[in-house]
Order: sequence, then C-alpha cells, then structure tokens
Amino acid sequence: MAVYRRSTRTRNVIAVLVLAALTLVTIDARSQGVGVLSDARSKISDAFAPLQRATHAALRPIGNFLTGALDYGSLKKENEDLRRQLAQAQASQAQALAQQQESDQILRNAGLTVPSGVPGVAARIIDVGPSNFDNTVTIDRGTSSGVAAGQPVEAAGVLVGTVRSAQPHVATVELVTDPSFDIGVALAGGNTGSASGTGRALPLRIRVISTNLKPPQQKVGDVIVTSGLDTERYPRGIPVGRVTKILDVPGAIEPEIELAPLVDPLQLSALEVLLWSPP
Amino acid sequence: MVAAVSPVFRARLRIGLLIVFTALVETTLGSDLRVAQVAPDLMVLLVICAGLTGGTESGAWVGFWTGLLYDMFLTGTPVGLSALTYCMVGSAIGALRTTFLQERRALLPIAAFVGTLAAVLLFVAAGTILGQSQLLGGGRSWIIRVMIVESLWNAVLALPAGYIYARVARGSAGAERVGAPIPTRTA
Repeated sequence: MAVYRRSTRTRNVIAVLVLAALTLVTIDARSQGVGVLSDARSKISDAFAPLQRATHAALRPIGNFLTGALDYGSLKKENEDLRRQLAQAQASQAQALAQQQESDQILRNAGLTVPSGVPGVAARIIDVGPSNFDNTVTIDRGTSSGVAAGQPVEAAGVLVGTVRSAQPHVATVELVTDPSFDIGVALAGGNTGSASGTGRALPLRIRVISTNLKPPQQKVGDVIVTSGLDTERYPRGIPVGRVTKILDVPGAIEPEIELAPLVDPLQLSALEVLLWSPP
Repeated sequence: MVAAVSPVFRARLRIGLLIVFTALVETTLGSDLRVAQVAPDLMVLLVICAGLTGGTESGAWVGFWTGLLYDMFLTGTPVGLSALTYCMVGSAIGALRTTFLQERRALLPIAAFVGTLAAVLLFVAAGTILGQSQLLGGGRSWIIRVMIVESLWNAVLALPAGYIYARVARGSAGAERVGAPIPTRTA
C-alpha cells in the first residue's frame, strides 16, 4: 500500500510540473515578448549580469585555453589566412578610401544624404548564447547606455547582428546567422535582396527581389552590403558577408546566393552597437 | 539559528546553489567550449545526475527548476520549454534508475549520453509542436550534430559531475529525502 501511495504521489508531482511548464510556455508564447514572464526574464537576466561578467572574466582564460587546445590545427591555419587577408586589406584600403570620397561627392551633388558618422557604443560580450538553438550573444551595455531593440551591431565595421532585447545594463544581440534574422542587401546591377540566417556556422541565404532589372551578376568573393532602403532597419553600406556560392533555382529567373559572414562573433570579445534608428 | 534549519532544507539549498552555479558556468565557460560549433549542455547533465542519485521525484523537481532558470537566459524560446524538457528527462532517468537500471561503473556516462540525446530531441520536438519552428532552421544535420556532440560532452563530464552532485545532495544526514540512496529491487 505504501508503495502504491508513493507511486501515485510521484505521478502527481510529475503531472503538476509538466502542466506548470506547459502553462508557462503557453502564456509566454501568447504574450509575444510583453508580460509578466518577459519582465521576469529581463529582470533575472539583468540581475545575473554582474555575476556573469565576473564569472566570465574568471573562467574565460580556461575556456580560451581549452578552445585553443581543441582547435589548434584550425587556429594555426586561420592565423595564416588572417595575415594574408590583412596584407590584402591594407593594399586595398587606400583605393577604397578614394572610391568612397568619389561616391560621397556624387551623392552630395545629387542632393542625397550620406548616413555616415552614426554614433556607437562599445560593448563586451559576457555570454555567447548558451543554447545551441539560439544564435545570440549577451553584451554588457543596455538601455542605460542608449541601446535599444532593433539597433544594428557591428564588429570591425562588419554587421554581426541586431539588438533583440535590451535591459538597463545588458542586451541580447541576435546574430546574422539566426534563422529569424532577415536584412535587405544591395546587389549588382541595382538589384536588392533579402539575406536570411540559416543557423550557427551555416551561410546566409539571399533571396533576390524580382524586378524588371537584369538578374544580378554576382561573383564568388563579392562583398555584399546593406541596402539601406527607406523601409530598411539599417543604414546603407554596412558589409554583411562574402558570396560563397551562386545557385540557379529551377524555374526562377533570379539565382539564390549564399553568403559567408565576414567575422565570427563567437571568436570576438567586443562589439559596437550603432545608436541608429530608421528615419 | 543555524541548527534550527532542517538538514533536508539545507540539502535543498545546496542543490539550489549548485543549479545557479551550473547556470553561471554554462552561460560563461560552457559556451566557450564549442566543438564543431556545439556547446555542452551542463544543465541537462545536472538533471541526469539528479535523476540517477535521487530517483523519479528528485529528477522531476531538479529538472523543472534547472530548466526554468535556464529559460531565463534563453531569448529565442518561450519560458517553460526547457523546464518541460528537463522535468521529463529527469523523471524518466529517475524512473529507469529505480526500476530497471542496475549500479554499474559505466552507468553514469551511458545515462548521460542517452539522456542528453533524448533531451535534445525532446526539446526540438516539443518546441516545434508548441510553435517554435525556428528550432528546425539549421536543418536535420545541425540537430544530429548537436545531439551527438552534446551527448559526447556530457558522457565525458558525467563522472565528475555525478560525484559533485552526490556530494551536494547527500552532504548532510537529513538530505535523504532529496538525495536518498537509490532504492534497489529485491527479489
């Protein structure tokens, strides 16, 4: 009899906990980011931020050591590649500067504004998305530093994501590789497209927007930048990624383009949030 | 004053602190230890240890609270999804331990491997049923990669994690209700 009571109690406990969890999921999914549970999540996330920052500072060297040991071969090759890319970048920098000045002059002559000089806030990464299904990082700057949801986030001048949510002292950045990330990009021949993430360590995919224009003649290796059109969330001209593959879609005029992000934010410790909002 | 606090309560408090500490390690060190871009899931390892050490009920409780705390650090999935997954995995491991699995040296790593596989699969399946279709965004190959790498990580870390959990849960004489010795079947 005692065994029966214990078994019934256990079943009841499990049933209550499962129902409680299902109720929480339903409430949170229906509230769509606004409500008691979202508030609780924000407050707990904010309250844990100093602890996370301290733990991260203390444990980061261990993590770096272990990561370095696990990835020694690839890191050595990556280092060589980066040295070569740096040399190429330095050579093309002077050329790019001259072209930029010329481009700005043309825009000014045409009476168009150049969205340059957007102020930014430097932030440190304190948490690199704990879940393997959540392509986000947490940074140590929040609404108290002017950070707000929707702002673009860069690393070394390259777009790495957007602010998904911001609390007073921390913010969550959704990375470009997240399947829910979507951004307008400029393509060759005056075309535009929509670049979407497909998952961590996977390329972005560009869907070309159909127009009367000739399909874009992109080449592998081209750098794709944000379009900055009127309805877009980001300023024009921020590099997003490099073309790695051009796929012909059966039955479609426009190709599908795959794009590799230019930087891996998981290897970085600092980002910059652009304090920019669409006009 | 300290003596007035029951040993059971103290054991629960220690388990609670271990959950918080594990969450901090997971969100800082854990996410740096990526192999093939996949990070270990120390939270589910804690839940598996709780199920093996404390049985069905302990696995369910620890699973629920561990998952709920972990949900607070996730922004892409609704609050409660990890709690649901971990609660079910913890109670299932606990139930198997009390009724079916015998004490063996390799039990902990094997349970950690199989339990983690089940947890990832359950998380994606439950999430998709509950409208979180972005969990399938990386494709089938990504889910399989996550399942295998997470499970291998947890199998490797199972022995030290199991030792720490057993010490925390059984540290005081009154902790038996939480970290009770595993009942074994008698003929």
